[in-house]
Amino acid sequence: MNDFILPIPEAIDLYEEGDLNGLDITQLGEYLEINTHIPFHIRGDIYKRFSKRRIEEASKEFARIRLRDPGKRFVSGPPSQAEVDYEKRRISDPGWKSFGILYEGVLYQKVISDLVIKGGLDPKHCILLFTNQLFGTWDRDDSRYHARVSLYGFPSLISLTGLVEAPAKPKEFYLKKQMGTPVAWLKEEYQGKFLDHGDLRTTEVLKGYAMQGLFFHLTGDPFCEDRDCRLFNSHWQEEVLHSQLDGRYDFCPRHDSILNQLRGRDR
Amino acid sequence: MGGQENMAEKKRIFTPVSEKEITRAIVDSFARQFIEYVESDCLIIGGGPSGLMAGRDIASKGVKTLIVERNNYIGGGFWIGGYLMNKVTVREPGQKILEELGIPYEKAVKGLYVADGPHACSKLIAAACDAGVKFANMTIFDDVVLREGNRVCGAVVNWTPVNALPREITCVDPVALESKFVVDSTGHDACVVKKLEERGILKTTGFGAMWVEQSEDLVVEHTGEAHPGLIVTGMAVATTYGLPRMGPTFGAMLLSGRKGAQVILQKMNPVVRPR
Repeated sequence: MNDFILPIPEAIDLYEEGDLNGLDITQLGEYLEINTHIPFHIRGDIYKRFSKRRIEEASKEFARIRLRDPGKRFVSGPPSQAEVDYEKRRISDPGWKSFGILYEGVLYQKVISDLVIKGGLDPKHCILLFTNQLFGTWDRDDSRYHARVSLYGFPSLISLTGLVEAPAKPKEFYLKKQMGTPVAWLKEEYQGKFLDHGDLRTTEVLKGYAMQGLFFHLTGDPFCEDRDCRLFNSHWQEEVLHSQLDGRYDFCPRHDSILNQLRGRDR
Repeated sequence: MGGQENMAEKKRIFTPVSEKEITRAIVDSFARQFIEYVESDCLIIGGGPSGLMAGRDIASKGVKTLIVERNNYIGGGFWIGGYLMNKVTVREPGQKILEELGIPYEKAVKGLYVADGPHACSKLIAAACDAGVKFANMTIFDDVVLREGNRVCGAVVNWTPVNALPREITCVDPVALESKFVVDSTGHDACVVKKLEERGILKTTGFGAMWVEQSEDLVVEHTGEAHPGLIVTGMAVATTYGLPRMGPTFGAMLLSGRKGAQVILQKMNPVVRPR
């Protein structure tokens, strides 16, 4: 198992943030366990075990890391009390539905990490957080923030909103939208060609992203260049749908071999 | 002769009243109202849909409410939908407010309803008036009144046309109105919030790009007290917190106004006067 840089985790911890409409997290966990023989635990709402004081602190942090202008580098500044109050209401409500604020992704990951990872990195647990909030990271190529589906690390963050909003829809969709075609009409015209909020395909698609999170934990590399592999780093909705639903296989021969090794370890 | 004069009087529709009596009636009534409302419980800057909704809900609980509007007409953008077409849309659950106000509407697609702009706007204005809201139209916001701790407790106003005249010939001082709460319902301009920003008390971001599906939720969720004494509603919320803008749909304006009213009523609870 030379590809692994960390010990195989004892468990995969699945956390939730906000209303995850469309995700069957149990089904996703079972998929991970079947493919890796690593047991999963559904930990539920990520904030439920914390004190009011910790929630207050986290609220201030979330309010502080809002991206005011995605075209400029993030600059920290004091948030308003109303923004802090909004964040407190948001993270205190497990069923929170509203999204649309874009947060600085790396700092968002740090806030979550400070909450759930105490006393240093614990390689025995692979932690995945599924969220309905939107985060972005800075792209050096075009010098602006872009919304992301996922941010792999400790923990890994996977955004259902990012899954819909980040990978690009067909080019024609945007051209027609620019020319004034209502979005509702475009969604009808291009139905099925991209994922939408509450899409019935969400769970199936997110299985691949969860596996990316696990591969990051194990090998430091979540991605594959094979566009038929679930670990393909998709930038378009078309690529997401192909690699997660319509590829020749679930995993390419190389990654399938790694999974075989994982499954074979307890024989 | 006398018979002919009687015939002439019988043909009059209106009771004879002199010009000076008409003038005195206007001045007297206006002055009494203005004197009374120099001090109010709630001063709403902006007579658009969110300001009207807030005013209607607040005043219906017996709270003394004045709306200041810079235009001659009340209603802001609620008369017209997008692109000068006079149909206004609301997304569910905004249609419940249309029902409450007696505004007829029709369903466009699932979750989207359309009403006539003139009908919707006039019904909302009437509802605010019926609830007891008073108006100072053709009146422009000029500055905030601040007290200890920079708490907002009023607004400085002037006649709107004064702004159009050259400063050199119009040293026309404004006047101050005091209030327990001020509501910024001035739309994209967020005039009251911007005035606080000029003074270095608040910082705004400016509304983001259009994202109709999410912006309405975010505007309603962020509606509330932006600074002690200042509640922000409607599109001014988007400007204050850098939220996406929503385009030609009005559900969030109505619900944001309602939420702003709820915030004020909660804070005022001990002070509400019975009607």
